[in-house]
Parts: sequence; C-alpha cells; structure tokens
Amino acid sequence: MAFKDNREFIEALEKTGDVVVVKKEVDWDMEAGAISRRACELSGPAILFQKIKDYPEGYRIFAAPVATYRRVAIAMGLPADTPIKTIYDEYERREEDSIPPVVVKNGPCKENILLGDDIDLYRLPSPMCHDGDGGRYIGTWGFVASKDLDNEWANWGMYRFHVNNQRSLAMSPAPGSNLGMVLRQQYLPQKLPLPVAAVVGADPLSSIAASAGYAVGRNEADLAGGLRQEPVELIKCETNDLLVPAHAEIVIEGEILPDVSAAEGPFGEYPGYRSRGFEPKLYCRVTAITYRNSPILTMSNLGVPPDDSHVGGCLSTAVSVKRRVEQAGVPVVDCYVPPEGAAFMAIVSVKKGGNEVAQTIGNAIGRRRAWISKIIVVDDDVDVFDMRQVIHALSVKCHSTRGIFLKDTPPGTGNPFSPCDDAEEKKHSIGAVAVFDCTWPSHWPKDQIPVKASFNTIYPQEIRDRVLANWSEYGL
Amino acid sequence: MVKEYSTFVSAPQGLPEGQEIKLAIKDLTPGPRKYDCRIVKAIVASSSDRIEGGDVLWLKSLVGITSPKPWAIKILEELGDSIPRPPYSELIQVTEALNEGLTLE
Repeated sequence: MAFKDNREFIEALEKTGDVVVVKKEVDWDMEAGAISRRACELSGPAILFQKIKDYPEGYRIFAAPVATYRRVAIAMGLPADTPIKTIYDEYERREEDSIPPVVVKNGPCKENILLGDDIDLYRLPSPMCHDGDGGRYIGTWGFVASKDLDNEWANWGMYRFHVNNQRSLAMSPAPGSNLGMVLRQQYLPQKLPLPVAAVVGADPLSSIAASAGYAVGRNEADLAGGLRQEPVELIKCETNDLLVPAHAEIVIEGEILPDVSAAEGPFGEYPGYRSRGFEPKLYCRVTAITYRNSPILTMSNLGVPPDDSHVGGCLSTAVSVKRRVEQAGVPVVDCYVPPEGAAFMAIVSVKKGGNEVAQTIGNAIGRRRAWISKIIVVDDDVDVFDMRQVIHALSVKCHSTRGIFLKDTPPGTGNPFSPCDDAEEKKHSIGAVAVFDCTWPSHWPKDQIPVKASFNTIYPQEIRDRVLANWSEYGL
Repeated sequence: MVKEYSTFVSAPQGLPEGQEIKLAIKDLTPGPRKYDCRIVKAIVASSSDRIEGGDVLWLKSLVGITSPKPWAIKILEELGDSIPRPPYSELIQVTEALNEGLTLE
C-alpha cells in the first residue's frame, strides 16, 4: 500500500528512525533552514518541526523528506536498506506501468478554504531558507500543476516559488521547462492567464514524479500512480479546472499573468550555490488557498549535496536520461545520476562503447535541455553506482584529448542554475555538454584490449575458487 | 519609527543618489509578514544624513551578499507588487527592468 499522504510517510519514517521530531520552537526565518541544511550535509534524518515561531500550534514544517536513499526506499515501500541499484531498477520497472489517477469529490486538502479577501499566504509558515534569499520559498519540494491549452495535457513540474506578498507568488520555471513551453507557445501569444495550482506537501511519490523529466504530453499523475502502484486520488480546484492530489497539505490556486512579472530570487539552489537572481519571473495571482487542518509545509533546503533534489530528484532524472539514450538506439546497461554531482553529472554504462556511441549519448541527453553537463560513458564492466570504479575508469580509460567531446548547445537549452556560466551565457541560457568516453574504442581488436587487473578478471577461475575457498585460512 | 528594507542591485555605486528611482524592496519588519515585496518609487542615498526622515535600505548583491553599510530610502509612492513586463522578456535584473533607460552600472 502506498502512502496516501506525508502524514503516513512520516509515521513510517518514525518507525525506522529516519525522522526526528523537533518539539522546541524554531524560527521560520533561517533557523529551520539552517537546521535542515546541516542535517542534509550530515546525511541525517528528515525533520518534522512541530512549533514554528509566529504561527499557531499544529502548523508544521517537514524538512528533507527524501534526502537519503533510505527515505526514498521507504517512500517506495521497500526496506530502508535497499541498495541504490535495486531502488533504481524498481523505479524503472514501476515507471513502465503508469496508472491513471482517480478523481474524488472530497479530500482533506479542502479542510480549509480561503477565497477572496481571506486569501493570505502569510497564514502559512513559509521558511526563509537561507540568509540572502530573495524571499520566503514556500515551494522548494512542491510542484505546480498546469494544463495544456489544446490537448488537456496536465503537467506537474517542480519549480521553486516564493511568497511575493499576501496574494501573489513569484515563480521560476525556466523558459524551456514544460510549463514555460506551454506558457510561451500557447498562453502568452493570446495574452491569456495560465491557471496553475501550486501543491505543497503531496505524498512522497507524487512529489518525486513531479520532479521527473517526463515526456512532453505525458501526465506526471499517471507516473505517480505507477510509482505508487495504485492511483493517486485527485480533486478539482476551487477556482479553476485543474486536478490536484486530494491528500496534499496545501494547495495554492492561481493564475500566471501574461503581462506582468514578479521579482524572483535569488535562492541557494541545488547546484550548491546561489549564483543569480532578482530577475523578473512569473507573477502568480492567487485565487484560492486550500489546506488541511494543522498543515505540514514541506521544505527541501537546497544547497551542496546531498539533499532531496540530489537523491529523490536524481532518481527520476536518471531513468529519464536512460530512456532518452535508449531511444537514440544505444544499448544502455545502467544510468546513475550521483548525488555528489548535484544533477549535473550522469554516468551511463553501455554494452558496446566507442567514440560514436559516446557522442550519440551526449547528443541524446543534451538534445532539448543541456541541464546535465557532464556525461561519463563507461563499459558494462564498471558498476555505475560505485564511484570508486567510475573514477578509476575516468582516470585511466578516458583519453585526455580523443576521449573528451565538448559541445555548445543552442540558446535556451542551458541550465539556468549553472554557477560556472558567465553573464552572457546566463543571459541567453546557452548550455555546454562534456562527454567523457571511458569505453574502449570500437575499432580496437579484441585481443589487444587491455585486461583489467582485478581479482575477478585477471586470474583463472580455478585460482579464484581456490583463493576464495581458503580465504579464512590465510588469516584474512 | 525607522523601518528597514532590502533590495538587490548589480552594484551599489550604480544607484542614482537623490533621484527618483523605482525599486522592488523587501519589508524587513519582524513578524509573519517579513520579506513582503513592494514595488515603490523612492529616493535613495548612500548615507542616512542625506535623506531627512528616511528609512534604512540594505543593499544586497545579485547573489545575496549584503553590503556592510546600509543606504537610506524615502518612499514616495507605492507602485503595487508586480513589474510591468511580460514573462520571459529578455533576461535583465529587476531594478533594470523597473528603470528602463537608466544606467545603473
């Protein structure tokens, strides 16, 4: 049984010791952020802050929900100590069997409804995550639901958003994101407001689904159903036709206006740096706020790895990358987006490598968005989940000139959060991809390919069997 | 009672002292509405003695680093909470967007 909401998820985390309940009052103004940031950097537990300064009893903040693979495993209903590769494989298997949502008439997210003059975002304990951020980011591990004007494509995307004032949000989807694409191509030319619903505190797998780079035209709610192995219950918004998880903690309904912008950012982002901000971004006029009694606001206090974006977020990213590479005709064995790479690095293992394969992979990954800028391609004898093996392959199998392919990608495809981009690259969102080919060249004769000098590869079976059988007798 | 605000700028020396300028400022009054964003027309100065009855304005760089010495601000007019500029216009920072034609750097 999937968790229907974060409350059930928190209960499960309590049983395994993967959440700490903080009863001492904490300040929403940086203190909660600093605590969860340090906990993430220590790979510590999730945190449920029970008492928030300035806010009523019961208003809570749940920090770092899926910032470790243990918590991702628990969210998926797997044992907490499930190996990373097994989590990846299980995610991939479930992703293939999407399950459409069901629509319900009643749900706890409607326990409180604020409309008209009652709308006030300051009723919710939005955190000031880091010193120097541009605002109180109520959306750090939330997602924005929107709909395609023509085809009823319901998109969920994880984009940061902060409180602008009592009745408006400043949102930051990149122009190349799914929401950005729909807004630019369909709504702005007709000067139409884009209806949205910002969902904060959905069940953990719906949130992971929303972070996925799911194909254009496919609904993340179906993916969430697949990951959950049962449908997500959705409920209609009060002021638009969008459907949102009925068990979400907070839903902020609104519309992105076509003629104005909001001052957005800066924000300490998932690459681990605060590198830009205070730019005119999307202005969302709030039309309704609905929330559960004693709401639990979810916070992912992004920064240097690992946090939710590097663990839960990278899982979905890796599977999306694998799909794209497979569609390009490359026989992929595994793909891993390691937390240490802050979602900028992908490691892909292939059955048969070579320069052409490596370049095909680079082109496939950077085709629409070059957000992953470092791609390491390895042969299938390298376990992509073992960074010792990956660094070894990168160090000795990647030729320092012939094995590295560099490519600029078109304006609009770059990662807007890339801290190493200069002002001009940022301005035009110009991307660049580097592919590190750590595979043997395809034209090398088989009998001349270097032999890996490891226990498993450089000794006859008979010797290995004997050594293993006598291992303890050697006193080892 | 002197109030405190903050804003983000490319470079403090680019702010025109003593001239009317439009700014997006964050209200730093403690409490649950702290960091409320307002768009205002104001006069700013690098020292409080240059604006009689002014409030405090903390300047932050575009990556959020606060200048050690605060400026002063006198708010002349409230201009709402949004920037009159369609989404996904060419990327510039907020203060430039609010003051097109004014050289800020």
